[in-house]
Amino acid sequence: MSFNIEEGRYLILGSIDGLLATLGIILGVSVVSASNLIVVSAGFGGAIALALTNGMGSYLAESTIEHGKLVKTERSLLRKLNNTYVESQSKKRIAKDALTHGGASFLASLVPLAPWILGVGSAFVSVVLSLITLVALGMYSGYISRQNYIMSVAKMVGLGTLIIIIVELLRIVHLV
Amino acid sequence: MTTVIGREMSQIRRLVLDVLKPHEPTNVEVASAIGDLQDVDGVNLSLYEVDQQTENVKITVEGTNVNYDLVLQTIENLGGVVHSVDEIIAGKKIVEEDETLHDRG
Repeated sequence: MSFNIEEGRYLILGSIDGLLATLGIILGVSVVSASNLIVVSAGFGGAIALALTNGMGSYLAESTIEHGKLVKTERSLLRKLNNTYVESQSKKRIAKDALTHGGASFLASLVPLAPWILGVGSAFVSVVLSLITLVALGMYSGYISRQNYIMSVAKMVGLGTLIIIIVELLRIVHLV
Repeated sequence: MTTVIGREMSQIRRLVLDVLKPHEPTNVEVASAIGDLQDVDGVNLSLYEVDQQTENVKITVEGTNVNYDLVLQTIENLGGVVHSVDEIIAGKKIVEEDETLHDRG
């Protein structure tokens, strides 16, 4: 499956959402319970909710934008574009963007959840796996933006680390 | 074969159309779609004006028996509008436009 820049945007957006939000849930829940089942249930619930909201959010936003573009083109052409190749391509783009955003969000959610699903049950492993995924995302981001790979990876990992630190601080406050 | 005024229409060999189309599908896709039609031997698509939402192109279609309705339908399905039929050559052989005294002056 090839991704253009538009889909690349949703791939990055969805992955960051799924990865870091689920990691936040895992770190938060693992404070109050060390049970694998509870962490997996909470994380999985969050992953599904995120995937659906991201997918539907993209669907609604892209439908609005694509419809606006179509109407603008119709005005210039002085004709309706219903049942044309242009309209069908527009619908395909909307569906592809929604699926990419929702799908990337769900798949990325599975990364921090993996150690808990596999019974390792370690927040540290979840953090390490998430940071490795952020490195890969940073490289992909550098590739599609034609920017410096190191800068791109640093930005991505920096963002992840910042979120992990905030969540960890909240954990300490909770424990105190 | 289509009939006109009770007669069979003769074979269309060349069709030159002035078309207004959106930027997507691209000109390559449009030319390729028309070129794939039955009895079309070749297509020339020239871009002569680009606007914010649309572009004007001149499409020349040549073949042994070009189906005008099918060409029109293909262009419309791709979001285009035929502004005018600028040149049409039909019959047993291709007859080029002749220069007249008026053109020379």
